[in-house]
Amino acid sequence: MSDAKSNSSILTAERKTGSPASPIRIAIVGCGSITEGAHLPAVLASPEVQLVGLVDTSENRLRSLKEKFGPQIPGFRDYKELFDKVDAVVLALPNFLHASVGTEFLKRGIPVLCEKPLSVRKAESVQLCEAAKSGGVVLAVGFVTRFFPSTLLTRHLLETGFLGQLHSFDYEFGTAGGWETASGYNLSRETSAGGVLAISGSHFLDRMLFLFGDVDVVRFLDDSRGGLEANCIAELLATGSGRRLPGTVTLSKTHRLDNRLRIVGEKGVIIVAEGQTLSVTYFPSGSDLRQEIFMSSSVPGAPEQDYFRLQLEDFVRAIREGTSPGVTGEQGLKSAALMEECYAKAERLDEPWCDATIHYFPRALPAQ
Amino acid sequence: MTEAAPIKQIRRVLITGASGFIGGRLCEVMALTGTYTPRAFVHSTATAARITRFPIEFTIGDLRDGASVDRAVEGCDAIVHLARGEGSVMRAGLENLLQAAVRRKISRFVHISTVAVYGNLPPPESVSEDAPIRHCDNLYGREKLGQEKRVLKHARTRGLPVVILRPPNVWGPYSHFSLEMVQKIRKGTLALVSNGSNPCNLVHVDNLVEAIILSLWKPEAVNQVFFVTDNPVITWKQCLEDQAALVKNSLPHVAEADLLVPPPERVWRESFKATPRVLVSGELRQQLRRIPLIRIVEEKLYAGFQSLSASTQQSLRSRLTGGSVPVVTRAASAARFVRDGLHFTQLRSVAHSSEKARRMLGYTAPVRYEEGMALLEAWLHYARQLPA
Repeated sequence: MSDAKSNSSILTAERKTGSPASPIRIAIVGCGSITEGAHLPAVLASPEVQLVGLVDTSENRLRSLKEKFGPQIPGFRDYKELFDKVDAVVLALPNFLHASVGTEFLKRGIPVLCEKPLSVRKAESVQLCEAAKSGGVVLAVGFVTRFFPSTLLTRHLLETGFLGQLHSFDYEFGTAGGWETASGYNLSRETSAGGVLAISGSHFLDRMLFLFGDVDVVRFLDDSRGGLEANCIAELLATGSGRRLPGTVTLSKTHRLDNRLRIVGEKGVIIVAEGQTLSVTYFPSGSDLRQEIFMSSSVPGAPEQDYFRLQLEDFVRAIREGTSPGVTGEQGLKSAALMEECYAKAERLDEPWCDATIHYFPRALPAQ
Repeated sequence: MTEAAPIKQIRRVLITGASGFIGGRLCEVMALTGTYTPRAFVHSTATAARITRFPIEFTIGDLRDGASVDRAVEGCDAIVHLARGEGSVMRAGLENLLQAAVRRKISRFVHISTVAVYGNLPPPESVSEDAPIRHCDNLYGREKLGQEKRVLKHARTRGLPVVILRPPNVWGPYSHFSLEMVQKIRKGTLALVSNGSNPCNLVHVDNLVEAIILSLWKPEAVNQVFFVTDNPVITWKQCLEDQAALVKNSLPHVAEADLLVPPPERVWRESFKATPRVLVSGELRQQLRRIPLIRIVEEKLYAGFQSLSASTQQSLRSRLTGGSVPVVTRAASAARFVRDGLHFTQLRSVAHSSEKARRMLGYTAPVRYEEGMALLEAWLHYARQLPA
């Protein structure tokens, strides 16, 4: 797209001349909880961007965020009003709108940082990637945990053979409850497109692909009864680097799990607890030792960085320098394809406490 | 008073508190059996995962907001009210719901109350729900009693067809009561009181759901109050020993007398009354006399006390000690159990009967204790409350 190229070229030219690049004009489309809690604070904190608008169909949400973050922030009810006002957008709409709205921006040459998941459907993700590719526009995906030092450290340890031959991996994440969403999009399949796998699990699916390479779905069990799964177990086989590494992913929105990634190798076990952003924990084989490993650049005990701001500024850098963002659309497409494969293979989890007594109820019901 | 709508008209049912433990199971049963269409009223989207497994209808709102309540009730034929919350939810929220129910000509309003309306130690006659409630010393029970009165007032004055169900502790998968027992037994903080001989008033969640479903359509249910309990009633001994077997931990024992402390609102008053008694007790003075300085002061005070007339001494002694009431000391080992409500509830000696529900609703309590326990155990493993 000509507009896209002109946008990108201006930004790149500023960079190349060495003059300080002016902040890029950015808008956030979708004013739900993730915008309130993460994207908007990151945008307001970064000198690399200038917020030109918030978009939401709900006047109440716009008012609420403006009251909290600044009454001068322009609010829009229709994202189409932004087409000639922005250099880039953060797309934080409910999952089912990512493809249609994201494609409209990309086709106009406007780079998109799309909140995760890109989609749970491969075809929608392909549509977004093709729109970005044909216009030479940056499409980044908001898998923010990729920016954790512990993620980069884990990959480094695997690449350097720290654990020797790998035997297996397993990941668990479960909480009694999930996100409090402003719109309630997470209550139905039509708007959320997926349950715990798409909402909580997509972060790990992306990290898993980053750490282990390609992954096949061996088996997928969930507790959906026509709605959104609240619990699921995926049996997987990572095939990257010519190996066949079995793995399991267990997710829950009804109860707490161990909430960690565990990688078992011949030399020991690595554990990365959920929220352990700076280090990994290593248990050498045949030893009682427990070691915390940091990157040499990390300072143990240092305050956490704002990873949403890191992600945003990585997106800006990709736009200005014409490079790939930390998480590309193609990588988002891979995890979307994996989710689609999981859902296609879904078998029902056994829940006797749900089904075993159902036969008692028809006799309590009125005759039809 | 308005007649209940014909059965066939009741189809869509608004369930408040739908993301809770009982509401969640009610939604599941309705979705799986298909006769009723649940509309889940939720205050928070964060805790609704269990019921989003089903393609049911949701409405997000706050019971204290009359407009959102009215929107939720519109198009429904009946309401099952399970939501709990702070005082404003319990009072203004319920009032909003009742007003909307009348306005929208709701055919059945099933209100879930509690046996706690009879207080901490219910009277013997409360075997039956027809027993009068003279006094309720349980804060939650008092709030629910106020709710019952509000509901019955709408039945009486506005013709709203209501049913009130009074369950005891509700157990089963996802039950806070079941989880609390298991977790406390594991920690060793839950004891069996007086060998657990009192009845343990329980209802399995599926049995309560059966009663709710019957209440939605049985003509006989209108404007009635029902206890809903399991049958047969088990003892606390069986209940707690079976839970202890699940977590493979032993169960401490404590005597009823060791738990007899004043209720929270009387702690200060009782403490002020008890302190002089302890201070003038022979046991304490004997210990304090081992400190030389205190012994000198005490001997001078005692000498002064002895110089008073016999009647003055008696009067002073009586005022300090509160008469002849003995100082009650508690076994030190029982101290850690005293503050826990799960111990006081074991002092309830009444077994509330669901005979009326059986007779008028056809309530059967189909899930027997052993079956319920097997399903609970399976769920506890699944929910990582017991080792795999």
